Amino acid sequence: MRKVAIVGGGATNCGKREASFRDLVQEAGKAMFENVKNISPKDVEALIVGAAQPERFAFQAHVAPLVAEYLGIAPRKVLARTELMCASGQAAIRYAWACVASGMADVAVAFGAEKMYMPDMAEAQTSMTCVLDREWDGINGLSAPPFFAMTAQRHMLDYGTTKEQMALVSVKNRHYSTMNPLAQFQKEVTVEDVFKSPIVAPPLNLFDCSGITDGAAGVVLVPAESAKKYTDAPMYIIGSGQASIGNAINNLASLTEWIPLKLAVEETLRSAKITLKDIDIAELHDCFTISEIMEYEAFGWAKKGRGGKFIENGEPYIGGTIAVNPRGGLLGCGHPLGATAILQALDILQQFRGEVPKERHVGGAEIAVTHNLSGAANVHSILAYSRSVK
Amino acid sequence: MKKVRFEKVKRTETIKLPYMLDFYPLEDEKNTRISQFFNNLKQGRLTTTRCKKCGKVLWPPRIVCPTCFSDELEWIDLGTEGELYAFTEMRLGAPLGFVEDLPFCIGIVRIGGLSISARIDNAKYEDLKIGQKVQLKIVGLDDGRVFYRFDAVKENH
Repeated sequence: MRKVAIVGGGATNCGKREASFRDLVQEAGKAMFENVKNISPKDVEALIVGAAQPERFAFQAHVAPLVAEYLGIAPRKVLARTELMCASGQAAIRYAWACVASGMADVAVAFGAEKMYMPDMAEAQTSMTCVLDREWDGINGLSAPPFFAMTAQRHMLDYGTTKEQMALVSVKNRHYSTMNPLAQFQKEVTVEDVFKSPIVAPPLNLFDCSGITDGAAGVVLVPAESAKKYTDAPMYIIGSGQASIGNAINNLASLTEWIPLKLAVEETLRSAKITLKDIDIAELHDCFTISEIMEYEAFGWAKKGRGGKFIENGEPYIGGTIAVNPRGGLLGCGHPLGATAILQALDILQQFRGEVPKERHVGGAEIAVTHNLSGAANVHSILAYSRSVK
Repeated sequence: MKKVRFEKVKRTETIKLPYMLDFYPLEDEKNTRISQFFNNLKQGRLTTTRCKKCGKVLWPPRIVCPTCFSDELEWIDLGTEGELYAFTEMRLGAPLGFVEDLPFCIGIVRIGGLSISARIDNAKYEDLKIGQKVQLKIVGLDDGRVFYRFDAVKENH
């Protein structure tokens, strides 16, 4: 297997955009190709497009060739779309990585796009409610907010986690997102602001939840040995982990402990030949405030049940135990499902290159992980990136 | 240049909520091989399948056991009384077909050794407690399809 590098990429501004699915694709494609020298659309041999539900959000299926056409790409090796709901973009990176690592393609693009704002938002919520097993869980109105609300309720009961600790995650991530021009949310929030925001599903308020977001992004992958042809500052994929246990609510390993995430972390550290201490930046999937708290625990930065204390003590800020979501997270940047993991990867690249504002720059960072969960947190996916080839 | 003509056309008539978007499964024997589950519900019985070969209780109900791939499964009763393991109330962001129900409670109910999600009726969020007893209830649509929910059991003090 060949080592693989990401040599550049680009993205749209994210948020409630006055733009169509096709507009978003074109904006991100232009930004991506303008960021990578010596690669034009005709060089792209593999294109993988992460998109969770374009059939429902944009009433468009078969989006991989649509994206290829709008980007001027005519792939000769691999073309496909990946769907893994909230991790659809990470699935795209993984497949593009596999294409290059295996030798199947020398230049691959991992792209992600989601248009989520619709004239009738109940229609968008319908799409979000067929993510869990629709006939047995979705039918009960169980979409992400009520699921994570119950997760939070049990975590609060079993471990003493508080609503204030959860709100502090939103305060942190929306602090960093004010320094990210791509982010959906550009205003700081306080704990009180979180408490005053409308209740979505108790104990979750609106600011405990990531947004409904339009956005698109793409990155270019090549073999590590030729990376310097395209950029002075590539980043390398050095490992990954992914684990899934069960799907319907009854078959989850646990509501309050994300066992599949622990397994994915172990595999990431093993495959990347690193320890937890080697990680300088973690872009974690904070779809809800409780998610990030449980991720501190599953990664092992905080003891089980101590995730709330971890944020209370400021440990996940830059300069603390581990810089978590200096991009602004999903809570600050929004969550355009198929694009999210690509946006995370792109921000790590910019962190390594020193292209992000100083106040959210993790100086001297060498190794980073990006994480996505999907469904009822039954699936967890992680990629590990390094500034230097290992 | 000829004058360009403008003509109004009607948007398609209001569509009633399509079957595949109303969240209820297609339940009869023409559409599923677990129609027995829904027939049992109509008789007030919440049931699931158990593998006759390896004894595993399977939820959701199946036609093949994923442990030993036997297709000899039998229906077992889960009982009619459960206990709340977790609950919340949907207040914002309901999908089509649920908007008029807002707000409504959802819970994870422990029943017959399983933990299943369900609508919890007969209570507001503030009235519910973890560990509270809930009673099986069957709801029916005009077209004959059925599903289960639970009613919160009010405690007598």
